[in-house]
Amino acid sequence: MSPLRFGVPTAAACAVVLAVAGGDATPAAAGDLSRGAAHYRLCAACHGDQGAGDPSRGAPAIAGLPPWYVEAQLKKFRAGQRGYTPGDDTGLQMRPMASALRTDEDVAGVAAYVASLPPTPHPATVTGDAARGQGLFAPCSACHGPDGRGNEALKGPQLAGQADWYLLAQLGKFKSGARGAHKDDATGAQMRAMASTLVDEQAMLDVVAYVRTLAPAGNAK
Amino acid sequence: MLEWLIPAASTSADEIDWLFTLIFWTVGFWFLVAQGILFGFIVKFRRRPGVRSQYIAGESKDEKRWISWPHYVVIACDVVLIAGAIAVWRDVKQVIPTPDETIRVIAQQWAWTFVHPGPDRRLDTPDDVVTVNELHVRNDTTYAFELSSLDVVHSFSIPVFRLKQDAVPGRVITGWFRPTKTGTFDIACAEMCGLGHALMPAVLHIESPEAHAAWLGDRTTVAAATSGSRS
Amino acid sequence: MSMPATAHEVTAVHALESVWSRYVFSTDHKVIGLQYLFTGMAMALLGGFMAYVFRMQLAFPDQVVPLYGLVTAREYNALVTNHGSIMIFWVAMPVLIAGFGNFLIPLMIGCDDMVFPRLNRLSYQIFFVSAVIILISLVVPGGGFGGAWTAYPPLSASAQYNHTPWGAPLWLLAVALEFVAFLLGGINFTVTVMNARAPGMTAMRIPIVVWMIVIASLVFMASVGPLVAGAVMLLLDQTVGTRFYDPTAGGDPLLWQHLFWFFGHPEVYVVLLPATGIVAEIITVFARKKLFAYKTILGTSIATGIISFFVWAHHQFVAGIDPRMAHLFTITTLLISIPIAEMLFAFIATLYGGSIELATPMLWALAFIAEFLIGGVTGIFLGANATDIYLHDTYFVVAHFHYTFFPIGIIATFAAVTYWFPKMFGRRMNETLGKLHFWGTIIPFNLIFIPLFLTGAAGQHRRIYSYENFPQLSTPWLNQLAVLATLALIVMFVFQAVFLVNFFWSMRRGEKVGANPWNANTLEWSAPSPPPHGNFAAMPTVYRGPYEYGVPDRELDYWPQHVAS
Repeated sequence: MSPLRFGVPTAAACAVVLAVAGGDATPAAAGDLSRGAAHYRLCAACHGDQGAGDPSRGAPAIAGLPPWYVEAQLKKFRAGQRGYTPGDDTGLQMRPMASALRTDEDVAGVAAYVASLPPTPHPATVTGDAARGQGLFAPCSACHGPDGRGNEALKGPQLAGQADWYLLAQLGKFKSGARGAHKDDATGAQMRAMASTLVDEQAMLDVVAYVRTLAPAGNAK
Repeated sequence: MLEWLIPAASTSADEIDWLFTLIFWTVGFWFLVAQGILFGFIVKFRRRPGVRSQYIAGESKDEKRWISWPHYVVIACDVVLIAGAIAVWRDVKQVIPTPDETIRVIAQQWAWTFVHPGPDRRLDTPDDVVTVNELHVRNDTTYAFELSSLDVVHSFSIPVFRLKQDAVPGRVITGWFRPTKTGTFDIACAEMCGLGHALMPAVLHIESPEAHAAWLGDRTTVAAATSGSRS
Repeated sequence: MSMPATAHEVTAVHALESVWSRYVFSTDHKVIGLQYLFTGMAMALLGGFMAYVFRMQLAFPDQVVPLYGLVTAREYNALVTNHGSIMIFWVAMPVLIAGFGNFLIPLMIGCDDMVFPRLNRLSYQIFFVSAVIILISLVVPGGGFGGAWTAYPPLSASAQYNHTPWGAPLWLLAVALEFVAFLLGGINFTVTVMNARAPGMTAMRIPIVVWMIVIASLVFMASVGPLVAGAVMLLLDQTVGTRFYDPTAGGDPLLWQHLFWFFGHPEVYVVLLPATGIVAEIITVFARKKLFAYKTILGTSIATGIISFFVWAHHQFVAGIDPRMAHLFTITTLLISIPIAEMLFAFIATLYGGSIELATPMLWALAFIAEFLIGGVTGIFLGANATDIYLHDTYFVVAHFHYTFFPIGIIATFAAVTYWFPKMFGRRMNETLGKLHFWGTIIPFNLIFIPLFLTGAAGQHRRIYSYENFPQLSTPWLNQLAVLATLALIVMFVFQAVFLVNFFWSMRRGEKVGANPWNANTLEWSAPSPPPHGNFAAMPTVYRGPYEYGVPDRELDYWPQHVAS
């Protein structure tokens, strides 16, 4: 038998195998964004490759969220100011994931990458009275803006365009103290106070239904 | 000898370290003997011109004793080590002493929830203290733990206690420990549990009775202040 | 093209066949053996590359790994999982059992081919498909399976938990197909050795490596059934939503662990036995000695095969089994050290009174004994239930089983490749490059894994992609040991290039040799190098056992099995 016949295809197979294994390598010269993109591969397991979220995992859409907001939330998770409550399964999953980002630069990199992803629209999953919700939204508009597009100076993120089920879940967490009750979480404390003005489940549904009518801005800065 | 590498902070740790040392010296000695003979033969019987190899079948009883005697030594050592292992395992794992307190450990992707019995030292009472990724225990106190998992198999590992027990969904597994040293130590998950397996560290605080009482005092005040809004 | 003239004559018909049918769809046991060998070598490169990537992450956490990129927790899990799976199922198994089993069995027992040549071809084809599937599973959406090679449910059973909706089922499918391939191969080996031996090849004249491959095949066939059943149940759990392992629906996750380890521990001996057989063949030739206590060695390997079915739960001491049961498995586990130790003693005794030539194959064979002893004695710490509580799933375990699997899967393979290379290709490998490769592999190997015994004994768990979140378990000296292990790994990989160069260069340019360059006794050396399709010009008759070296009153110090006087 000819050795050559085995040698060449084998060497070629090895080369292909190595190329496949190294295929998704990022360039060694990693800027903020490319390093953020590399770290995002972990996030993508729940939030999806394009940050569109996955309701079955309780993972919100994060594509296009402003970098300052993503950064602030990742830091809260890292510090245990979010995801500290027994039973808050999604929070308890997000906290360790955020702790995988060891430096502030890595947090900023992921935030920049998330901000660069194109937002996608979400189907309605809850029903409420948007007209009644408009009235209830008045206190929210102080920080989140009358059009729900957010206000960086007041640390209010854009709500327009976010999935309704996620907004509802977070309102519930603020009300119960599963989010925002940590002693070092100042913005969380504000939000808890505001959420408490929504007296019952119906009020939360209504306000979420109203937020759904608001048009999101493009990719936030 | 494990204590050269990592502190021993429970009664079980002392016993397991003793067994480790016993095995180390027993097998270590015979290991060196075997390697010595192997390398000795390699050197002594190197090929030399004009010297032929000997013809030894190794089938007669007389010849076979060169392997059967070492074989008996292995059996004798095995018996000693098995006896040691069974004795230590019985103390550490099989017989659970009457605990002073019981704690509950709940694993999930990817966090540890600890239910401490609180000042009354009894579980399932209103003063229970529930924490995430933080376990506080009193030194020189015998604890039983009830370990469970909400989703996949995790493993509750406290290296300084030499303690490791898988948390299996659908079961409550009981074990025990008795701390012997105050300090702050790592708790880890030792069974692959998904993306965050490496990211679910918890912290073990072994405190003097006074320090533990002070911590419990703080916690119960906080709990009382927020309990209204929590539920 | 260097087809020897004799081969042309014998295989005039085959020479007319296309390259395609001769090398890809051949039923010749030697071609199939080499197909397994080359596939295994290619997979070893991939498995090794994975080890390089995750070791770099451990030594230099969060740094960009050259040739790969940043390693996230998600990819790390997939890398360690597939490194383990590939090295055991797609490297050790195909190379040691299927590769050398196929190449050697008909040549060593004196027949023209396997009894079921087409079954043999089918076995390789299924294996090849399984290798393709495992490669595909690495690049599907969601990435490769990351639930450890043991694949414990519920993690492995549900994409909700493991986050690899495609990777997990494909991984499982690949493993199950691989088992099917080796089941077919195992049947073939056993039937061939039972029925197709040359005249005079009585049971006690069969070379020990053939015995060991047959025993290994029997152990494999007897142990794999429960796991295939378990794998089917797991696949159903993953894909159609059955709940065999889901405790919330009356299933039991521990069921998988028992099925897996009932196979998983015998599997260690399935690959160990052929490796020790290879070592036995080589040390007798290069020490010019009769194998010490042939019957005892055969007895110990049968005993090992049998006892290996009664030790599985030592993997589950801390898994929540009844604590009383652990005593039983400690006893059986320490018992299995007795036949294995006796076998090694017999190998060492074989060297006594020998005329030892430290040629490259002999260096590898002796290294196998020396290194496997380390793997053996460190196993005692893990077989003893009480110390296993602490050491379970630490780097101590990783170091221990690499001290068994590296000698088995790598050292014995290099021993075998360098020893049988002249038979495979009719040429000799370069001895200087061979020795350079040997030392460049053995020294770094020890520098990789001795540090891991220490980090494991210091409490570091395996499968942790970064220790940065564990202040006490990532002290500076532990990190330095991790760096040492990683650098040694890179050095070892660099030296593998020496082997590849030597291998492929010698294939075409190596010194030509005759039928029996090592002056060995077994039948394969009576066939031409390389043997043609059909192996022997005239079918051999066997007159004596395989290890008649240094027989007094003979001019030559060897006495081939097929020579009448």
